[in-house]
Amino acid sequence: MLNIENLHAKVGDKPILKGLSLKVKAGEVHAIMGPNGSGKSTLSYILSGRPGYEIVEGRVDYMGKDLLAMAPEIRAREGVFLAFQYPVEIPGVSNKYFLKAAYNARAKHRGEPELDAGPFLKLIKEKARAVEMDPAFLSRSVNEGFSGGEKKRNEILQLAVLEPRLAILDETDSGLDIDALKIVASGVNRMRSPERAFIVVTHYQRLLDYIVPDFVHVLSGGRIVKSGGKELALELEKKGYGWIDAGQPA
Amino acid sequence: MSESAVLPDARSPGWRFTPQDALTRPRFAPAAPPAALTPLAGRVLCPVGFHRVALVNGRWESAHALLDLPAGIRVESWRGEGGARGGAPAAAAGLGDQAFACARDGVVVTVAAKVRADRPIHIVHVADAADRAQISHARVMIRLERGARAEVIEEFVSFGEAPSWKNVFARADLDEDAELVHYRVLHDAAQGRTTYALDAELGARARCESFLFQLGGAFAREDLHARLSGEGAQLGLGGLSLLRAGEVADAHAVVEHSAVGGRTRHLHKAVLDESSRFVFEGLIHVHPGAQKTDAQVYNRNLILSETARVHSDPEFRIFADDVSCRHGGAIGRLSAESLFYLRSRGVDEAEARRMLVYAFGAEMIERVGQESLREALSAALRERMPEGREARA
Repeated sequence: MLNIENLHAKVGDKPILKGLSLKVKAGEVHAIMGPNGSGKSTLSYILSGRPGYEIVEGRVDYMGKDLLAMAPEIRAREGVFLAFQYPVEIPGVSNKYFLKAAYNARAKHRGEPELDAGPFLKLIKEKARAVEMDPAFLSRSVNEGFSGGEKKRNEILQLAVLEPRLAILDETDSGLDIDALKIVASGVNRMRSPERAFIVVTHYQRLLDYIVPDFVHVLSGGRIVKSGGKELALELEKKGYGWIDAGQPA
Repeated sequence: MSESAVLPDARSPGWRFTPQDALTRPRFAPAAPPAALTPLAGRVLCPVGFHRVALVNGRWESAHALLDLPAGIRVESWRGEGGARGGAPAAAAGLGDQAFACARDGVVVTVAAKVRADRPIHIVHVADAADRAQISHARVMIRLERGARAEVIEEFVSFGEAPSWKNVFARADLDEDAELVHYRVLHDAAQGRTTYALDAELGARARCESFLFQLGGAFAREDLHARLSGEGAQLGLGGLSLLRAGEVADAHAVVEHSAVGGRTRHLHKAVLDESSRFVFEGLIHVHPGAQKTDAQVYNRNLILSETARVHSDPEFRIFADDVSCRHGGAIGRLSAESLFYLRSRGVDEAEARRMLVYAFGAEMIERVGQESLREALSAALRERMPEGREARA
């Protein structure tokens, strides 16, 4: 599904990714762990098309297409979804209006029928129940005045409504207490399927107790320096990132 | 008496930041009645269910009037030569003084004590200029006696190919406990200009909700002067200006608190595209003795192009010591973070921009209590989107 080859990227003059390669197949859950500043969020943003990054070298193939050549909205309609670490507040745009615009843009792109307000509201109310979100939030402005946990739940609601092929969760556990973390994780687990892949970006192992990955990769200095199964996350938790960095050239 | 207007000195206070070009060129001649009457259907925002009168080129037009007034409400022509304010206007006089002096006609709305108007009163100011640039003057008086309540919507439109300028003076008198909801909706065509001066006086416990919507035209200006002279008077001022191309809009307001316990809330927003220009001056003057005044004035502007310009000046002059006064101004662009967030969900860039601009303006429109007007304004806001324009092209 996703094939990242030797990706080099920089912000301004600062190189962030320095030869990152990663293959993700449908149905797999990959965790990407790494210390602060290792390039985890940059990778998430580059895959979703945020402006401001310069690709110096390498390529990203997604479903047989050149992902980096697509505008962010096209990537989204082709099934790429980023759950933001810091979801943006948009005063004046209601959650349900925003979700409907996103849903119908994707449906139109795929030649599927668009939904009118009535049937769409029914759909999102069901999805909101699944992430234990009060339906009142659907009428409120996007993320405005939401708590940290409510914002993350809103991201998972969007994930559930848009049903992406490739979901990237960027530090979804940050700022969540254990109850919110469980709700968010069960929302994600319900979405796991043989057709869908996840990239779970996280600093801590904690989230991976609830979203159990098939593969764990350690990102350091802009490259993946170690890959393994889920036990690698536990080892990292025990030994710290210094264990990885010690074995790397400066 | 000349019916052309004499512009204030470009360096005088209130005009320093306003380009006057649209008012100095071409040369505006006094307007004559149009050869044929243009129907209003489909050209005004308000539905026909309101009490309606129209001034066409500054003259009361009976053919457009829809009046079925209950007892206690009068809506009448204010015919007669002007000059009641003291002869020919001097160059130093404001445009409002000139409108008052030069007008031959106008509208007087009177609501008797304790009467609540059953329906909104809709005053349409029409400029109809077929082949030569013209100016028309008019005056409006809104008088609410003690405890009366009314909603008045003044709508400004321009028809015809030639440039036109409507210069209007209005006065609103609210006796004790009176309540006025007053809208000015300016949506002139590209050749239209409107200058509007409003003097308002609020008696004790009077309440006035006042809205200004500037939605089009080469030049749109309001000079509002409100006096809260009775105890506990309340004034809400809301405004929204949507500007594009080379349009110029000005919103000037001076609010004087001279009695105890007055309250003012003023918020004006503007969205500027292309090479448009907006000037906001909002002064709240708290006189000695006006203790417990609670007043706020804010101006927020959203700039969509590199060439648009804003001058923003919210200001207080306070001569009382037990008051709560806040003011602020902001000029910004669409947030790149918000744009990316919307696009990352599949919303295309043009639609994302449209959603964010709409959200900015909608805050003002949502305050409009009158439902049919709110819907018409909402549609007008969508229509004014840069992308809405592309979609129609």
